[in-house]
Amino acid sequence: MKNAFLRPIRLLGVLLAVAAAPAFLAAMPARAQAEQLQGGTLRVAVLADMTNFDPMQFSTVNFPLIKNLYDSLIEYTPEGEAVASLATAWTVADDNMSVSVTLRDDVKFHSGAALTSADVAATLAKAADPEKGKNVYATMAIVKDWVTPDDRTVVINFKAPTPDRQMLDLLQFVMPIEAAGIDTVETVPAGTGPYTFDSRAVGQSIVLKANADYWREGEPTIGELRFTIFSDDASASAALESGGMDMVYGGTARSAVRLKDAGYQLIRGPGPLVQVFRINATQAPFDNAKFRQAFNYLLDREGILRVGYAGLGQPVALPWAPAGPAFDSSYTENYAFNLDKARELIAESGLSQAEMEDWKLLVYSTDAASVTISQIVQAALADLDVNIELDLREGSEYVEAQLSGDYKATFGGVGNIQKFPSRVATNSIYRTANNPVLKDPHPFPDYVAAIERVNTTLGSVEEVKAAYDNLNKVLVESSFAIPTNSYDIGLIVASPKLSGFTLDIDNLLVARTIGFKE
Amino acid sequence: MNRALNSTYWLLSGLMSRVASAAALFFLLTLVSAALLVDVLPIDPFAQRLVDALKGPSATNWFGTDELGRDIFARVVYGARTSLSTAGAAVIIAAALGIPIGLVAGFFGGWRDTVLMRFIDVLLALPAILFAMALIAVLGRSQMAAVIAVGITGIPNFARITRARVLSLRKRDFVTAVEAFGGSSGYNMFRTILPNSWSPILVQVVVLCSVAILLEAALAFLGVGVAPPTPSWGEMLRTGKSYLYEAPYYAVLPGVVLTFTILSFDVIGRALATLLEDRHDASGAEIERTTP
Repeated sequence: MKNAFLRPIRLLGVLLAVAAAPAFLAAMPARAQAEQLQGGTLRVAVLADMTNFDPMQFSTVNFPLIKNLYDSLIEYTPEGEAVASLATAWTVADDNMSVSVTLRDDVKFHSGAALTSADVAATLAKAADPEKGKNVYATMAIVKDWVTPDDRTVVINFKAPTPDRQMLDLLQFVMPIEAAGIDTVETVPAGTGPYTFDSRAVGQSIVLKANADYWREGEPTIGELRFTIFSDDASASAALESGGMDMVYGGTARSAVRLKDAGYQLIRGPGPLVQVFRINATQAPFDNAKFRQAFNYLLDREGILRVGYAGLGQPVALPWAPAGPAFDSSYTENYAFNLDKARELIAESGLSQAEMEDWKLLVYSTDAASVTISQIVQAALADLDVNIELDLREGSEYVEAQLSGDYKATFGGVGNIQKFPSRVATNSIYRTANNPVLKDPHPFPDYVAAIERVNTTLGSVEEVKAAYDNLNKVLVESSFAIPTNSYDIGLIVASPKLSGFTLDIDNLLVARTIGFKE
Repeated sequence: MNRALNSTYWLLSGLMSRVASAAALFFLLTLVSAALLVDVLPIDPFAQRLVDALKGPSATNWFGTDELGRDIFARVVYGARTSLSTAGAAVIIAAALGIPIGLVAGFFGGWRDTVLMRFIDVLLALPAILFAMALIAVLGRSQMAAVIAVGITGIPNFARITRARVLSLRKRDFVTAVEAFGGSSGYNMFRTILPNSWSPILVQVVVLCSVAILLEAALAFLGVGVAPPTPSWGEMLRTGKSYLYEAPYYAVLPGVVLTFTILSFDVIGRALATLLEDRHDASGAEIERTTP
């Protein structure tokens, strides 16, 4: 009787074990799986052509290439932990005034030349040049100078005691360029990365080949990396579904969700952007604080996230990713969509109807999400009897207006939101100096002081938190930039036959570990 | 006046006597009525309901909803106003400039003809869509810019057709008779020749309406039409194509309405051409309208 009772249970146990096997295998360490991956040609669909090979130009169109042609001094894990890359060690001085970086001794550039401290020094010099430093320039603001005691060591000195995390952010942002290739790096890549440049058909394709002398053992897995440029997201998705592509990188959230439902792999990186409603607070009617603050409440963050980004992200009222050290969820709750509150603040602004409507919302018409979410704002304003028009501009026309500050308000994503809080000041609207929108002197000295306080607070956890809290409070009160939601950039939608993905902290494409399953 | 009413009645009767043209006329009249009355109809093309985004066709939303939860049927109806008004205004501009050019070129001939027709050749050499986009880039994105752009691209059609008609009438007896009686060139062009040239021009008006609607939709599809949230068929197609997998009705239904509208104009244009040709053949010429 007992055996008769147990038999079906044993059978059930065997069935469960068989059923659970795939899940168990999937949970095996990545390294074990990686060993079974096969090489070949990886066909990647991207939605825009690259602009150049300079790793300091962090334009999203260059995201597919940068980490495949170059390596950083250090890397972050998806959890934000610093790990060695070209640097084997980094030692912070007791007074936090310098960091000593030790380089690997087995790294070669694509030209065959060995990586030395002179190359890192040349890269730092480029980064510190206001003309050549591009996106890294702002990060170099904390650096005083650097020295190279020997071929393997670089010591970076800072202008003031600098928090460890800020130093690590700098090391992670620096990708050494061969000194001899600095001047031509825009047209000829000069990195140490896992792939070397092979060919390019402008507007059509880019081909990279595996770097035979790559310093990471057993990498890259894939022998050839072939990027094909598609004019729109739907075509790229169709190519993936037809088997013509193995992966879509940087597609829209909506397509990614649909393809995931169809059985494709959706890989989301740890480095989202935050969508920010940027306001030119130096111009009427936005020079009125109450009018600006009303936008904290009239932006339907949940709706914007759902409609514009297929729900992939989180509503936020501060320019930090939820994993960022200064993130505070209470702000999202306190500044939830509330048209009555917005109406009250608009009434308190004292502006006339004509003054409130004397502006246009600049829209990047090439980006469907921007067009959609701008209409949500337009409709919310119309509910408050404030009728405005959208000013749609294409490509370079929009970028020029945005970077030169020639707008009253516009949406735009900001990055570096998961790193040290003051890194937010690398984004144009958040710059504390040379701000193209708010100009100099910065019209919000409290904000400049709050950033400075974050940069210089090296005390206890409580002191650091107080500095972050102060920055958050100032950001919301000044309201020159109002975040709405985090969203994914560099989304990867891949064929089920691919595996071995390495997530980059900035969501750049890292192809060196990707391979085909057997 | 009676003659005009009689002609209109005759044309309408002729159109209604054919099944295809009667159906096309009925469709267009319905569309025009809806476009005119959209403000008083119980539909709102601008009202957003984000929670109802991309819902399929239903009793509440006949054509479904778009990505912002707006009623696509309401937007198609309002889009008819955008498309028809753009097309109508563009045809007026094209006719107002093209007809006088064709009249002068055909009537006087010589250097005037050469200069004017080379100018028309230049306009013809420019691809309409490219020219319209360049013009909008200069004028900025607005419905007025689209009207001007589409209107200018329509000038050559009117100019060439009018010129051809004038050339065929220029040496006719009733024209020389007016000259012999001392009628001025202006009088002869506008009071003698032009009234006898309406038939092909009328057909051209109808044909150009469909071309203008298509061009306006194409401009909107390329992202240089009227700015959102103003509904436009081309803009709906442009946005809807991004949702072809999730909501195929979003692009398909406005596309169907656009197709039927253009088809209707073409059917009416062909019917008019046939009717007027038959009438022309029956009367030998339309010279009885001449008033020397």
